[in-house]
Amino acid sequence: MPEFLAYGFMQRALAASLIIGALCAAIGVFVVLRGLAFIGAGTAHSAFAGVTLGYLLGVHPMGTALAFGLGTVWIVQALHERRKAAFDVSVGIFYTASMALAIFFIGLMRTYNAEVYGYLFGSILSVTRGELWLIAGLGLVGLSGIALFFKELHFIAFDQEMAEASGIAATPILFLLLSLVALTIVLALKAVGALLVFALLIIPAAAAQQLTQRLWTMMLCAAGLAWGSMFGGLLLSYWFDLPSGATIILLATALFFLAVAVSPKR
Amino acid sequence: MSDKPPTAARPPAAGAPIIEFQNASFAYDGRPALDSLSFSVGAGEFLGVIGPNGSGKTTLLKAILGLIAPTQGRAAIFDCTCHELRCHHRAMIGYLPQRSRTDPNFPVTVFEAVLMGRYSTIGLFRRPAEADRELAASALNEVGLLELRDRPLGRLSGGQQQRVFIARALAQQPRVLLLDEPTTGIDAPTQASLLALVRRLHRERGLTILFVTHDINLVSPAVDRLALLNGRLVAIGPPAQILTKETLAPVYGETAIVTNHAGGAYVIVADHHHA
Repeated sequence: MPEFLAYGFMQRALAASLIIGALCAAIGVFVVLRGLAFIGAGTAHSAFAGVTLGYLLGVHPMGTALAFGLGTVWIVQALHERRKAAFDVSVGIFYTASMALAIFFIGLMRTYNAEVYGYLFGSILSVTRGELWLIAGLGLVGLSGIALFFKELHFIAFDQEMAEASGIAATPILFLLLSLVALTIVLALKAVGALLVFALLIIPAAAAQQLTQRLWTMMLCAAGLAWGSMFGGLLLSYWFDLPSGATIILLATALFFLAVAVSPKR
Repeated sequence: MSDKPPTAARPPAAGAPIIEFQNASFAYDGRPALDSLSFSVGAGEFLGVIGPNGSGKTTLLKAILGLIAPTQGRAAIFDCTCHELRCHHRAMIGYLPQRSRTDPNFPVTVFEAVLMGRYSTIGLFRRPAEADRELAASALNEVGLLELRDRPLGRLSGGQQQRVFIARALAQQPRVLLLDEPTTGIDAPTQASLLALVRRLHRERGLTILFVTHDINLVSPAVDRLALLNGRLVAIGPPAQILTKETLAPVYGETAIVTNHAGGAYVIVADHHHA
């Protein structure tokens, strides 16, 4: 067994990567196809504000993160449905407001809390056994959601209006997708951090789209690319003592440009 | 029955009314889009819907689909109030939205796109059965594209994509087909063959068809009646009755020209933005 696998923290990091990579890839495919990248970014920052509130109140930060994440996607979509504000405008408002809230909550804490910053920049090597179980549980919920509503998700990603007109409950399905995005972000927050989590949603799926025109193949490619960049990033960060979250995302970005270069679609 | 539609608003030589508007008005965010519509469409009728940009043509289709509720009056289809339509009623309406080309990189095959027409009937948590696949394949065969079934949809031409979307509507086993400018942005021979396909479906399947278009001259030989919209129903009736200078000029302006060509009216109006 290679030396690095002997460490418990590395085993947990790899197990967390396996689940997070699979879920980010699967949800990411629908995020990319449905054009929800920006709300992914906004939700990640709002979830971080939830984390800071959790620490401030002394409750589990993933609980408050999930509440903030779901609140953001639901309110943004509801404003959009009622034509109160353009989608990107309300995402932008939530994005900045939630960062302000996060800084506000951090300011209210009497002591410096290094763990909070772990959620901003990611600390996959410090995932605990309890957190791993939580990631596994939420991951199962997320993947089941995709499996159960796969054909409806494919349809609304392709054409929301046509899906609705043909009798699909398109709006509830979109809310489900947005909720799964929030869930995925919260689940991956500890591992790769709020600043980089949505990159893991977008980059593997976008790279996979360069390589195939089949939905299933795109999902499998995205999962492979997510796992490749997470495992590869972990090893590189271990060997060269680099920050793990940043290394993972930069590796994923490199794979994206490689996919563009070798794409058979040009 | 106080606001009974005038006689011209009733379908000639067609079955019982399948779509009925009674003094129905529609608006977006308080801005009126269609005012006091009263007319009906008979089962098996082929209705052409014409009018300038922004005259409410697409709104009319969305009202029938129940995607917008009337601010007053009533819109009904199959004896159901449109905006309270249940899913199984929606499945009986095949709809081709006005659309730009499919993203060429979107991962969907021609067959998958047609099979989507079955999804609402299949219901949640269930995979398409063999019978659904057969319906999709036969619909694809009907529009003449079965041999392209495994191709990525985005790689097809605009006219072929419209045929695929017609196949999807047929896979729903609809009774009504709503087409929103299906011939926009495709070349003339393809337009003609698309219209021929729609005519054949009308004839062979007895479908009720609403065909929204800018191209008055393309559709008028095919339709039973034309409805001319301009924020309201300006006129409805057989093409010969609608395609006159007196009817068109108040809507399209005095530059509208109506001449005779090959035994029918030929119309030139200044609203052919898409031509």
